[in-house]
Parts: sequence; structure tokens; C-alpha cells
Amino acid sequence: MTLVFDRLRKEYGQVVAIDDVTASFAPGLIHGVIGPNGAGKSTLINMTAGSYTVSAGSIALDGKRLDKLKKYQIANSGVARTYQNIRLFDQMTALENLEVCFYPSDVGGTWKEVVWPPYASARRDHRREKCMEILRFFDLQGHADAEAGSLPYGRQRMLEIARALVCNPRLLLLDEPAAGLNHHETADLTAKLAAQRSPDRITIIVEHDMDLVMALCDNIIVMHHGKLLFQGTPAEVQASTDVQLAYLGTANDIDDIRAAAQDRRAQLGIRTRRRS
Amino acid sequence: MSVAESLAAARPRSSRAVAFLVFAVAIALIAATPFLPNYYIRVIDSLLIYILLGIGLNIVIGYTGLLDLGFVAFYAVGAYSYALLASPQLDLHLPFLVILLVAASLGAITGILLGIPVLRLRGDYLAIVTLGFGEIVRIIINNVDWLTGGPKGIARLDKASILGIQIARPVDFFWLLLVVVLLAGLVAWRLERSILGKAWAAIREDQDAARGIGINTTNAKLAAFATSATIGSIAGAIFAASQRFVSPESFTLQESVLIVLMIVIGGIGNILGIVAGAAILILLPEVLREFAEWRILFLGLLMIFLIIVRPAGIVPRSFGPDKLIRRLFGK
Repeated sequence: MTLVFDRLRKEYGQVVAIDDVTASFAPGLIHGVIGPNGAGKSTLINMTAGSYTVSAGSIALDGKRLDKLKKYQIANSGVARTYQNIRLFDQMTALENLEVCFYPSDVGGTWKEVVWPPYASARRDHRREKCMEILRFFDLQGHADAEAGSLPYGRQRMLEIARALVCNPRLLLLDEPAAGLNHHETADLTAKLAAQRSPDRITIIVEHDMDLVMALCDNIIVMHHGKLLFQGTPAEVQASTDVQLAYLGTANDIDDIRAAAQDRRAQLGIRTRRRS
Repeated sequence: MSVAESLAAARPRSSRAVAFLVFAVAIALIAATPFLPNYYIRVIDSLLIYILLGIGLNIVIGYTGLLDLGFVAFYAVGAYSYALLASPQLDLHLPFLVILLVAASLGAITGILLGIPVLRLRGDYLAIVTLGFGEIVRIIINNVDWLTGGPKGIARLDKASILGIQIARPVDFFWLLLVVVLLAGLVAWRLERSILGKAWAAIREDQDAARGIGINTTNAKLAAFATSATIGSIAGAIFAASQRFVSPESFTLQESVLIVLMIVIGGIGNILGIVAGAAILILLPEVLREFAEWRILFLGLLMIFLIIVRPAGIVPRSFGPDKLIRRLFGK
């Protein structure tokens, strides 16, 4: 089974942000969503994760309608996401940022945790073991007890992805994971994302970094003015005259896109430095 | 060994010494209290009640990050539970422990009742609405004369007793309150460390991202309101039993503000800080009693000073009970 968008639509008053998009995403693959700014890429992610409401059409994961659920219910259906602007729990440690993801499965035992210390420490050890495993995968084990907000920008990006992966999601949504990262970090991220691939997981990446998208994705969706313009493998996308004409276009245009990506990274970089 | 190295080596030992000193002083104070004159014991009783209130309110403000300015309402619910169930007012004379249970349940229910309408509110808006809630409860108590005696209050409350042991003298209340404060502190601290406590922290940091990882923020917030109100209500019942008189005057906005101040000055989100904050805000006015109207000025200056030098509170969040225990017992 898969994630299916069926004639999905998002309108803001007169503006149509997503215009009858129908697409399906198979598990085991990494799907890239590309398109110029304002094409509706992030809107797709935000609707799937329940941050935005759906104007018309439907989103279904393994046959289950997501668009009727509340945000936390969507998360509990196996959907995890990261945000375009990092949203960690800044004053909690890196480890706690992951630990809290076990809330849905462990909250029922809260009172037992309060009154029966051996149970509490057993649960905590169990949670921590799983979290440390993910932290090690992202080379963050040395930062487990550091406050998330005090970590360098690149580490925060990694931690946010770690938080999304800790509960082994069925659907992983990454909103510009490489934004603000340097070349070295982007290469590292690409390797990590390739390694997290599993036969059961649907991974969707919205990204401006074409190198990352072309290197990582099995299937690419090209969005243009809220419409699905093209869907295919990286090679097909690069070869498609449709895509070339409409948006990748000539060599000049691909440079434009790269320049836009560069700008965006610079922007985010500055904002982060100001934040920390 | 260089100076820096020896300093670094000495540091854990000296901070452990400080922890032991604090611990020893606390034990000594507790041991000495029964031998003090009644006036001092009463002051310490009231200190313990405020610590209890602080522990309760801190769950909502410190752990979950929701500014509640109407906490005194739950205190009133507990106090009037005792006043109505153990006095000639309705001619009911239930046992103290039963009333504690009733007060705790009523507290939890009112906590949830307040929680539901304010679920969507945060920050200033939440503060305003909860402030209103506190005032509404006080005004209702003030006006339902047939039940609450209105502004005159309810007098001649029963003497409390637990399993045949009478709790009447200030020193009896001291021991009772000490046990209740320790229990409430333990529960609050263990809640903070539990998975629910982590979820509260996540809501405090970023409510929307908390939903995004599957936290039902409605339930988690209501749990915070309910536990917090339960502790406030228990404090109220014990307060009524110790005064053997209740009136709406004890439940003004000023009380709510005082408890919030205690938490902020002591160290938001930290039980140890609450004890420090309560000690300053409750004991200092007593110490300064001779200076009459000047004492408010002193308190104001002290607060400004503390907020400048220790903006995170006297004992910041990072130095919680876990750290104290680690300092005391190794690792």
C-alpha cells in the first residue's frame, strides 16, 4: 500500500496553492518534490502532516484517510516530519527531544512511573536505549545531554531528523532538510538519508538542493504553480522536455534554481546565527 | 598540580559540601520547629502551605508553561470543601481524611472545568482568563450567602483528626503539612521525570511541534491542570482545618500573584526553587514586621534586585532535585 493524494486541493481565498494534485508514493523509495518557490511543495507536506487543512480531495496512507484526523492522530498513524525552519524543543536536551516521542505508547503508564520507581527506570532505560541508537546513527551521541537549542545549526538539523525517525515512522516528510547546511554537512546528510531507507518506509523530501535530490531520490515529482507537472526518475526528469521547457528549461534556468537555492541557504544561515 | 586543576578538582567536593550543608540545615530546622513558640510554628505552617501551593501551581506554570493567575480558586475550593463538610453550617461533620479525598476530587474536577475553555489560549490571554476565573470563584463565594456565609465566612469549623489522633495545635499541623509537602513534592518531581512530564516540557517549548510528534496536547494540558488543582485544593482543606475559619478574604487575586511570584523568584520549574521563593516571600514580611509599612518597599527592592542578578530564579531549573540528590549521594 502507499500514500495517495487524490485530487488534492488547497485554496487561500482566490489563490489556489495546490490544484487537483493526484499522486501516489510507494514504500521503500525516496520521493523528491521539487519546483520553484511558491509551487506548493511545502503546502503538500503541511497538509499531509495536518498542519494545514485540506480544501478538497483526500490524503490516504495505507487506505486510511489522514485529512480527517487531528495533527497528533496523524503523527500516531506513523507520520513524522521535520520543518523548514527547525523546530526543536530548545530547552530540552537532545536525548529528551527524542525521548518525548515515546509519549503516545508510554503515557498510559505515567502513574505507574510516578509511584513505582523500578518501573519508571525500566521504561526510561528502554526509551533511552532506542534514542541513543538513533543519536549514534546521526553522530550525536556525544551531544545527548546538551540542550537542543545550544547545538550548532547543522547538528540541530540532524537532531530534528533523528526526532522524526526515532519512532520508526511509516511516512517520513522532510521539508528542506539541507537548507543552511554546508557542502560537507549536505554530503553527510545525503548518506544518512540513503541509509535510513527501509522497505516499509515512504520518504518524501522537499528540497532545493538539486545535487541532493538527484543523488538520493528514486522518484521525483515536479510541482509548478500548484500543479503536478511531471513525475519520474531523476534521469527522466532531467531528460523531460516538458520539465525543461516549463522550469528546468535551458542551462541558464538550472543555474537560476541553483542560485535561488544558494540564496535561501544564505538566508537561513543568517537567521540561525541570529537565533543562537 | 596547577591552580586551575586543583580548583577543578575541588569544585565537585565543595558543591557537595554545600548540598550537605543545605540538607543538614533543613533537617535541623525541621527538628527544631516543635520546640519553637507557637507564633513561629504558625509562621512555618503558613510557609509550608505556600510551598504546597507553589508545588501545585508550578506544574502548570513551570512544567507546562501555562501562566495561570487564578490558582487561588482551587485553594478556595479545598478550603470551602472542609468548611462545608465539617462545620455547623450544613451540620455535616465528616472525617478529615474523607474531606481531603473530596477536596482532592473537587479540585481535579474544577481544574479540568477551567482547563477545557482555556485549552486554546496561551500567554497573556491565558493569564487574563484564568485571572477572571479566580475572581469569579471568589465573587460566587462572596455572594452565595446561604451556602458559604458570604463575606462573613464560615466559623467554628470542626477540629481535624486523623484516625483518632487530633490535629489541632500548630505543631500537629506542622507534621501533617510536612508529610503532605514531601508527598506532593515527590509526586510532582516524579511526574516531571515521567513521560508525561517530558510531554509537558515539549508543550512548553513548542506546542505545535509537540502535536507533530503525536502528543495529544489537550489531554496532557488537562492532566497538568487537574494535578495542579488537586494539590491546591488539598492545601486549601488543610488551611481551613488549621484556621477553623474561612472567608473570601483569604482567596483574593493577591494570593494568586504571591504564589506566581514565589515560583518566579525561587526558580520556575524547580521544586527546590519554590522552597527558596516561599521562604523569602513568606518569612521576610514576618521578619520585617517591625518596619511596618516599609516592608513592602523592602520586598519590592529585593525582588528587583533578585530579578536582575538571578533572572532564572534563586535556584534555576537546571539545578533540580535530581542534581541535589546526585550531589548528596554520589555519581
